[in-house]
Amino acid sequence: MFAAVAVALFVTFALALIRAISGPTVFDRVLSLNVIGTKTILLIAVLGFATDRYDFIDIALVYAVLNLIGTIAVLRYLVGDKERS
Amino acid sequence: METLLMIGLLAALGALAVAIAFMDDLLVVTMLSGIFSFTCCAIFVLFDAPDVAFTEACVGAGVSTVLTLAAIRLTGRREKRVGRRASAVGLLVSTVCGLALVYGTLELPRFGDPAAPANLHVAPHYLNESAAEMGIPNVITSVLGAYRGYDTMGETVVVFTAALGVLLLLGGSQSRPLHRGDAPARADRDVILRSVATLFVPMTLFLAPYVQFHGAYSPGGGFQAGAILGGALILYGLVFGIDRLNRLVPERVLQVIAALGVLTYGGTGLVTLALGRNFLDYDALSAGPTGQQIGLTAIELGVFMTVTCVMTLLFQRFASRRSEP
Repeated sequence: MFAAVAVALFVTFALALIRAISGPTVFDRVLSLNVIGTKTILLIAVLGFATDRYDFIDIALVYAVLNLIGTIAVLRYLVGDKERS
Repeated sequence: METLLMIGLLAALGALAVAIAFMDDLLVVTMLSGIFSFTCCAIFVLFDAPDVAFTEACVGAGVSTVLTLAAIRLTGRREKRVGRRASAVGLLVSTVCGLALVYGTLELPRFGDPAAPANLHVAPHYLNESAAEMGIPNVITSVLGAYRGYDTMGETVVVFTAALGVLLLLGGSQSRPLHRGDAPARADRDVILRSVATLFVPMTLFLAPYVQFHGAYSPGGGFQAGAILGGALILYGLVFGIDRLNRLVPERVLQVIAALGVLTYGGTGLVTLALGRNFLDYDALSAGPTGQQIGLTAIELGVFMTVTCVMTLLFQRFASRRSEP
């Protein structure tokens, strides 16, 4: 069960990674950064449940709380960039 | 299943590294580095190193992307083109270094080898005696804080020194005029962002002390808690404007607390010296595990103060600087 979920998550991760590397626009990459963040959170949580290590949840929790900071910073940068030019 | 996942994640790391090397848009490079950090974290979890993964999560998720972006805002988004000759030399040097590193790994013991020197010297003592000597279940915390207390003190001083370097380079303790991106006229924009941040900042503020004080039982401790609290303050600054962050926590206060953190750490060592034991030998504070726990709490508090203030200071100093035309 957990193995199937982990494989599915990894496939999603890989697809988002392809989008992140190939682009072409910055917004594709912002989205894929966010998707990969979410997939990592889920992957860590699944690994924690699969191996009975519940303290992995703490790591997932930190990502869940802090993940949006990077995205907001990138978008803020783009807004500033646009207003400057 | 874990082996397959590991192969997949390592392949992703390789692909990302090549992609980062070829990109010349630094904004894209920053985002790809963020993904690199996520992948590393997943790999650390697979290697069963939750404490390392936790640190990667705390620093990689919030602080590092923000600080890189802030630096790019000052320097420009495009990588400078270098001549063909310079890049050929660079390629040669990095290929030679890479081959030397690969050659070096041939002599290393295999992963998890019980006969490896790292697993024979002091590690058995840490693993077998930590519970009795420290009275806490998380061996990593007792290694970082007590057995290898010197090293952690060095790391705290390094963090503090990095902040000093940035403050001296970017100069001027007064905050400069706002750059256009953060104009107060934004107040009626970004309604969703503001509402989300109003919910998220307090939650993060709760998470930091949990990570700080639960570090004895689960991954966490002063450094991670500091990075989380710093991340919360940075989020506040990003959403509500650097001006409000400066009013909430003035740079001068942060500078003093950052220095006090290092002082708390070193001071704990001096107290144990004054009580007639070795530097950072917590047995001086009280016999048995109690003394160790008092010492650990004190130094983790010092690390927490320094890391929180340094993260926030760096962001403030970068963000309040007017970007180059």
